[in-house]
Amino acid sequence: MSASDRPLMLVVGIGNPDRGDDGVGPVIVRRLRGRVPPGTSVRERSGDALALIEDWKGFSSVIVVDAMAQITEPGRIYRLELTSNPLPVAFAPPSTHAFGLAETVELARNLHRLPPFLIAYLVEGEQFETGALLSPMVAKAVEDAVERILTEIPALSEAWRDHA
Amino acid sequence: MATRTIRVDYIARVEGESSLDLRIRNGAVETVRLSIFEPPRFFEALLRGRGYTEVLDIVARICGICPIAYQMSGVHAIEDALGIAVDPAIRALRRLLYCGEWIQSHALHIVMLHAPDFLGYPDAIAMARDHGEAVERALALKKTGNELLRLLGGREIHPINARIGGFYRVPNRAELAPVAEALKGARDRAIDTLLWVAGFPFPECVRDYEFVALRHPDEYPMNEGRIVSSAGLDIAVADYETEFIERQVPYSTALHSVMKQRGVYLVGPMARYALNRDHLPAEIRALAGEVGLEPVCRNPFRSILVRSLEVVYACDEALRLIAAYEPPVRPFVPAEPRAAVGYACTEAPRGILYHQYRLDQDGTILEASLVPPTAQNQGVIEEDLREVATAALDLKEDALQARCEQSIRNHDPCISCAAHFLKLQVHRA
Repeated sequence: MSASDRPLMLVVGIGNPDRGDDGVGPVIVRRLRGRVPPGTSVRERSGDALALIEDWKGFSSVIVVDAMAQITEPGRIYRLELTSNPLPVAFAPPSTHAFGLAETVELARNLHRLPPFLIAYLVEGEQFETGALLSPMVAKAVEDAVERILTEIPALSEAWRDHA
Repeated sequence: MATRTIRVDYIARVEGESSLDLRIRNGAVETVRLSIFEPPRFFEALLRGRGYTEVLDIVARICGICPIAYQMSGVHAIEDALGIAVDPAIRALRRLLYCGEWIQSHALHIVMLHAPDFLGYPDAIAMARDHGEAVERALALKKTGNELLRLLGGREIHPINARIGGFYRVPNRAELAPVAEALKGARDRAIDTLLWVAGFPFPECVRDYEFVALRHPDEYPMNEGRIVSSAGLDIAVADYETEFIERQVPYSTALHSVMKQRGVYLVGPMARYALNRDHLPAEIRALAGEVGLEPVCRNPFRSILVRSLEVVYACDEALRLIAAYEPPVRPFVPAEPRAAVGYACTEAPRGILYHQYRLDQDGTILEASLVPPTAQNQGVIEEDLREVATAALDLKEDALQARCEQSIRNHDPCISCAAHFLKLQVHRA
């Protein structure tokens, strides 16, 4: 495999670490640091989801890790394939304060700026108060999410090789 | 008796939560209410009892789009109270930081929030299918503005590097060089955006505003100046509260600011441009002429043109400041607390932002007063709506609603900023 077609993987944790379960994305990607295979980049993002479109430029595969509001049980992990499907509204309701993940993905789709493979891992949160820690159920889900993502990374690399 | 009611429960593509209630009776607009139901956030009360060194980190949290405006009004007001004069290089860095905020905030509003109104799209996502280049330009402009915020402010959202007397850390020339390169590209994108916007269809509307903005003797205003108006007002910032007053209205969690003598007034790009056009470089004025922007623009739908012109200016000004930059000999001037009152007003992207703080001898904040641009523009937004709706009564419901929403977005309201100021009274038996 030449350098030009080497799979480049990005894992982005989105959220505010000072707002309880909203910080689960950054917590998960911090646990991934040092454990991901070569060719995988790990980043944290807070606030402006629009910046993701620049972040994932040049990467063949991207995993975004984010918190979502509670719809069933806190700590539940959802894996969603976004390359060909929009993020359902129930998972990311629109905000009047910023462009969120769902809007960013759809904007990128219309700009033809989606990476070839885009996967979201969303963790249901429970408490989002300023200064709060992760809730117990969400904290418990962190290691499970880390393991699932570590399993996903080589599978995505394989898929990219087949795709290329 | 024919009655039509246009009710928009959530106004989209503005920052924060608001609704519009428009009642039309017998072919005439009877009631216009822009209701802001964003929960009040009590920042003025939160500041009381905190130390003067904490102000910038607290007020930066008020807004994710214009945190620099809050930090700059805050830092100037505290320095006014403490009698601090900063080094010229610090002053230049603050202006450079403000350029970054204007670029990113304006680019977001022009293309992602406001342009879809003119081109008939529900949002920027749908618009991107047909106007991808324009959206890409906006994303790139926003990135360049954010890069200035990251370098000078420490991070893009809720920056942390500004402090009383200067900055915790100042950049060297080498760090600014790549930003200058990005700004050269941004300037081209800003001009392309201006030309693109100039081709939009603008609804006819002429409003007799009293424009209010800062005016500085030598430069287009950002961080300092006197408060002036198109009706002849010319006061020091410290006299703000002698001329302006905030009023509570029952349907909004944000106060309405009015002039004591003459009522509602307009702040923001149209006012800045009308009152300071002579301080724009000749090249920028020539660009304004090329796109047909009159020296005083009174059509609020053309505010997007003025905003676009200001992005070009902010890129130019940032490049000029970087070219002239010599790092200061010290990153900040030391501050000594004292009992005093300080005032400041700076030009946020949406218009003047007034701060006043009263400190005790230890520098503890006894009182804080913050008047954001959106609180000042609410009266104008409602008056615009009355006029715009009256002129558009023949439109069908959907089109009338769309025109009204477009009218609100003419002023780039930042609702979350405006909703900090509800006066809470607790009656205890």
